[in-house]
Amino acid sequence: MQRLLLLGLNHTTAPLEVRERLAFSPAQQRRAIELLKQQYPQAEAVLISTCNRVELYIAREVHAQPRVQQMIEFLSQFHAVPVDQFRRHLYERAEREAVEHLFGVAASLDSMVLGESQILGQVRQAYDLSRRLGAAGPVLNPLFQRALAVGKQVMNSTPLGEGRVSVSGVAVEYARQIFDHFQDKTVLCVGAGKMSKLALRGFAALKPGRLLVANRDEHKARRLAAQFAAVAVPLTQLDTHLVEADIVISSTGAVEPVITRRHFQGLLRRRRYRPIFIIDLAVPRDVEPAVAELEHVYLYNLDDLQRAVARTHSQRSQVLEQARAIVQQHVQQYLVWQRQRELGPAIDQLYRRCHAIAADEVARALNRIEGLDQPQRAQAEQLMGELARRIVNKILHDPVATLRQADQLHAPAGQYLHALQQLFHLEPAALTALESTQQAGENSADEPRGPQAPEPDQQHDRAG
Amino acid sequence: MPSAGQITLVFVSIALFVVGGVISLWRLRRERAWQRAAARLCMWLGVLTSLIVLVWHALGRGSWLPLEDNFDALIWLAVVLAVFVMYVQRRRPIGGLDWFVMPIVILLLIGSAVTGLTDPHAYDVKTIWSWVHRATAYGGAAAFAVAGAAGAMYLIANHRLRRKVALASGPRLGSLERLEQLTLTSVTLGFALLTIGAITGFAEMIREDRATPTAKIVLTAAVWLIYALVLHSPINPSFRGRRAAMLSILGFVLMLGVIFAVLLMPTTGG
Repeated sequence: MQRLLLLGLNHTTAPLEVRERLAFSPAQQRRAIELLKQQYPQAEAVLISTCNRVELYIAREVHAQPRVQQMIEFLSQFHAVPVDQFRRHLYERAEREAVEHLFGVAASLDSMVLGESQILGQVRQAYDLSRRLGAAGPVLNPLFQRALAVGKQVMNSTPLGEGRVSVSGVAVEYARQIFDHFQDKTVLCVGAGKMSKLALRGFAALKPGRLLVANRDEHKARRLAAQFAAVAVPLTQLDTHLVEADIVISSTGAVEPVITRRHFQGLLRRRRYRPIFIIDLAVPRDVEPAVAELEHVYLYNLDDLQRAVARTHSQRSQVLEQARAIVQQHVQQYLVWQRQRELGPAIDQLYRRCHAIAADEVARALNRIEGLDQPQRAQAEQLMGELARRIVNKILHDPVATLRQADQLHAPAGQYLHALQQLFHLEPAALTALESTQQAGENSADEPRGPQAPEPDQQHDRAG
Repeated sequence: MPSAGQITLVFVSIALFVVGGVISLWRLRRERAWQRAAARLCMWLGVLTSLIVLVWHALGRGSWLPLEDNFDALIWLAVVLAVFVMYVQRRRPIGGLDWFVMPIVILLLIGSAVTGLTDPHAYDVKTIWSWVHRATAYGGAAAFAVAGAAGAMYLIANHRLRRKVALASGPRLGSLERLEQLTLTSVTLGFALLTIGAITGFAEMIREDRATPTAKIVLTAAVWLIYALVLHSPINPSFRGRRAAMLSILGFVLMLGVIFAVLLMPTTGG
């Protein structure tokens, strides 16, 4: 039996200071999955790391490793952050709750900015990485594929994604609260990633006097600058550009702050104390928080902007309900499918065993009947065989139907499986069959088939 | 001495401005078109009523020259400020400007009603220079009132931006840049008018050998110095922003002191 675990922290449980210390860069994410695979070769793992969350999904055998404590220690050791500094910000989920959580995340219901579509891409990237590295298997493959489908359906079939207020939109609104006009203003973008591009798009619409793009990789800077009629400038001359800039958008992948208080304080005089709006979209942050204490500096980080965005969603409860209903429907379908997949081989074996007993008894009874010619014997064999099959099917129908209904089970499927095995003396091959099904699933596309998925034992139902 | 009818009309004008202000504040809870229209109508009617009082009072005095007594001067000051607010809000609105300037207008009208009910002293307008002194002094006061209001708005907007709640519920005041610009423009105008007022007043005082209350001179000098500091901000930019806003508020408070000094301690002949 497999067990699904989730360990994570997000914008609701952990402040940015904690999140940025536990965030994984793409390279770190890859290394973390490789390490997990190395340490726990039997376990499956997917690691989602975004600005707002770090979540580790693990699927493993019931009594296998890693356990939650080991997952926590893994995070701690990887980032060299003592456990007590982040333990209270973590949440743990298992089984149904973990599925619900993941589907909610993919549908952007757990995002600070409800309806933002970036999270779907981030979940896909995390899953793809694990799949490429062989860390996603028969449990996480169908789970994440279903999660992506849920996310897409929510975005396409509900108005959640429509008219959403973006982080860059809010940043522009804040800029309007500081500056009256932008024709004489200089916007400096430090970093040339996706976030920079989104923010730059918002500010370019204000038609500022100058748009500058500074990036370590000058080629990327030039490419981004070309899209917005901006000027690519060398990052080495950051001080000069900070003196000129009125609005700074920073979103680099730097681990250490790019702008510190001490550094910026020295520039205030050269700036002639002009107000400056600094938007720090990076996690870990590019701008030291103490910079905000300086006069004429308005520093906003990702959390500040997302909080403002979140306030705009209060009136969208109806849409939320609609999205949640879709998520719940998929959770239910997935769990039923998963349960059927887990119990299917055992049920199949149960039917086979009972039918075999019935067939044996029919054969024995037929042998006792004398005086039947060949056609009569054949007719009797057919009639008695059918009778025995019907009786077996009718007896097993109710318990099997109950087993298939996930809601009617009050304990993990494993317990029912174990009970079946013990009560009917089923061979452990039932479990092996389950494993082999999972192995087969690994090789196939492994897309959950939903509650209508044909099961190996359906033939018995039809016969009944 | 204003008639009872004129005083009543002043109270009507005050009531209209108060009602307009309440409706305007009500819009904070829920914005509706009729509220905006009603608030604007109250403001216009308030101005119109004040203008009727001015005309009636001029007819009563038998002179069309404004600012001949403090009752008349305070109403003029209130009207100028109210018209300024309505002009700005029509041309390029600054959110919440009326909430900050209109209380000053109401306060000035109450002042005029009180002086009208008690014993308003007539200004001794002998020469054109004494009238210029009065007009520029009151004009300066109006400009400083706007500067003070813009300064207060700047401080609130700045505080909200620093607390990162500028987009949360509550009034959206104008941008910091615009408020700072409004403060500086008002202070520049007010400073010029105050300087002219101070020079002409001083010249008149010497020419007529009059004794002017010391408090008035000291407060005027203090106001002049404070606004000189605010105007100094383009040269020394460390004075811009919050400091300039705080100084403009302080200057306006002192300016109110000058007005009260004038009202309570009239100039006596030497």
